[in-house]
Amino acid sequence: MLTLDRVQVSFGGVTALRNVTLGVGEGETLGLVGPNGAGKTTLFNVISGVVHPVSGSLSFRGKPLLREPEWKRARLGIGRSFQIPRPLHHCTVRENLIVAQRFGAGKVDPRRIDEILDLLKLAHKADRDAVTELALTEHKALEVGKALATDPALLLLDEVLAGLETAGKRAFMQTLGAVRDRFNLAMIVIEHDIPTISTLCPRVAVLNFGELIADGTPEAVFRDAEVIRSYTGEAVA
Amino acid sequence: MNPRILVPVLVAAYLAVPLAFQSNGYLLGLIVAALTIAGIAVAWALLGNLGGMVSFGHAAFFGVGSYVSAVLTMKAGVPVFAGLLMGGVGAAVASIATMPALRLKGPYFALAILAYAHIFQILAVQLEGVTGGAGGLLSIPRFPSVLGVDFGTKLGGYFVIVTIVILAALAYDAIRRSTWGLALKAMHDSELATRVIGVPSTHLKAVMLVVSAFITGVVGAFNAHFINFLEPDYAFSGSWTVLPIAAAIFGGYRTVWGPVLGALVIYLLDQLLFKEVLPHGHQLVLGALMAGMVLWSPGGLVPVLVRRKGGRAHAHA
Repeated sequence: MLTLDRVQVSFGGVTALRNVTLGVGEGETLGLVGPNGAGKTTLFNVISGVVHPVSGSLSFRGKPLLREPEWKRARLGIGRSFQIPRPLHHCTVRENLIVAQRFGAGKVDPRRIDEILDLLKLAHKADRDAVTELALTEHKALEVGKALATDPALLLLDEVLAGLETAGKRAFMQTLGAVRDRFNLAMIVIEHDIPTISTLCPRVAVLNFGELIADGTPEAVFRDAEVIRSYTGEAVA
Repeated sequence: MNPRILVPVLVAAYLAVPLAFQSNGYLLGLIVAALTIAGIAVAWALLGNLGGMVSFGHAAFFGVGSYVSAVLTMKAGVPVFAGLLMGGVGAAVASIATMPALRLKGPYFALAILAYAHIFQILAVQLEGVTGGAGGLLSIPRFPSVLGVDFGTKLGGYFVIVTIVILAALAYDAIRRSTWGLALKAMHDSELATRVIGVPSTHLKAVMLVVSAFITGVVGAFNAHFINFLEPDYAFSGSWTVLPIAAAIFGGYRTVWGPVLGALVIYLLDQLLFKEVLPHGHQLVLGALMAGMVLWSPGGLVPVLVRRKGGRAHAHA
């Protein structure tokens, strides 16, 4: 459903993504890993329209994306979360989802909003201010919730599990699995925690210095010598 | 709109004020002038609060609205009330010409739109065949009688402008309460977050600019038919920008009635009190009053009144 073809991104003299070619199928869950600064978030920014590549192309369900602004891509079915949560200011949790649904999905369906609030365990905070009255886990859940309210077909999750303690991480991962199955979503998940990625994603891609260096099952990828080297910086005997 | 606020407003607007002041032409004239500023102030607040844009260019929309209606009624025989609407449409069209400025933010937007305002003033001077040039237009038609009510009098004019201001405030309120309003309020502090969930933020801002310009144009057209005279320096005067901004900030531009209350308080105080005491330099007192209000209550007068009544302040109105 999503195809990136030789995507190249530069910021000044720095190449953030180098010739990245990648595809994601309907309903597929892809884990995206790599050291800090490898270009993972930049890749999300390219897919969601925040950053424009200097060359290469990308398409979603056969539609070329390069000329589409962020808000049109959201309407086409690409939802994303931000690593640092970006709740809508001056709005309650429910209003965050209402805005996302009205503009992203083009409909008003309160039952669906209630369902999302329940799934993400945000129902008890529905009428609280989204910026000032949420705990970290709830902020992360709201990031997912806003994206879900737009009726996405593809969900880009940028470290939604980072910063949570082990039990919270496990619980949230189960929630994400439930969300994926309920809404029949394709997902790309950025995550550093290898056990988490291996559980959630049947397929993993590895970025290093803007280049895709591995793509396959978690077992194969995490045994790959180049991948291990990119993480540890040591040569493997 | 909360009927506990709306009903007293309507009673004051359509009964109390006309009954109290109908025989006092001077005071009624001042109230009409204050409401004219109130109309622009509501339009300015709508753009500032919901669009997140500080405009120094509302004099342009006011001037365009007044000229469009004056010219259409004088030279094309358009009925005066239709001219009011056309004045609004004219100002809305003029606002589309200023849209390249929407790419700018904060002070840059404010400066760009200030420049636009000047362009329209120059056009009014140069297009002599249509606008009468620097000499202006005289004998602009009055409001007609409708169903036996003569809107051409001072009292009639009062009813016209008070209706325009109330409709503008209700429109502001309706937009603010809608999903659009939620998205617009969220945009200032989290524009990227709104864009990735499907909000075309630039389009929304553009629509707010058009709505704000339309209201201002209608008010400008009203003023032309009320005073029956126009010249470029007057129609595009910076006062039509500065006084409404002062009124909106004084009253509370994030509230619906703040700009209206602010305009009435500021203009009437200035004309009835400060001008008497200090015939020259009475604006100085106005400036001090503004500064005092911003220091005392940055949200303006209405939040203070709401707090006094023990109600919950509209913290994120």
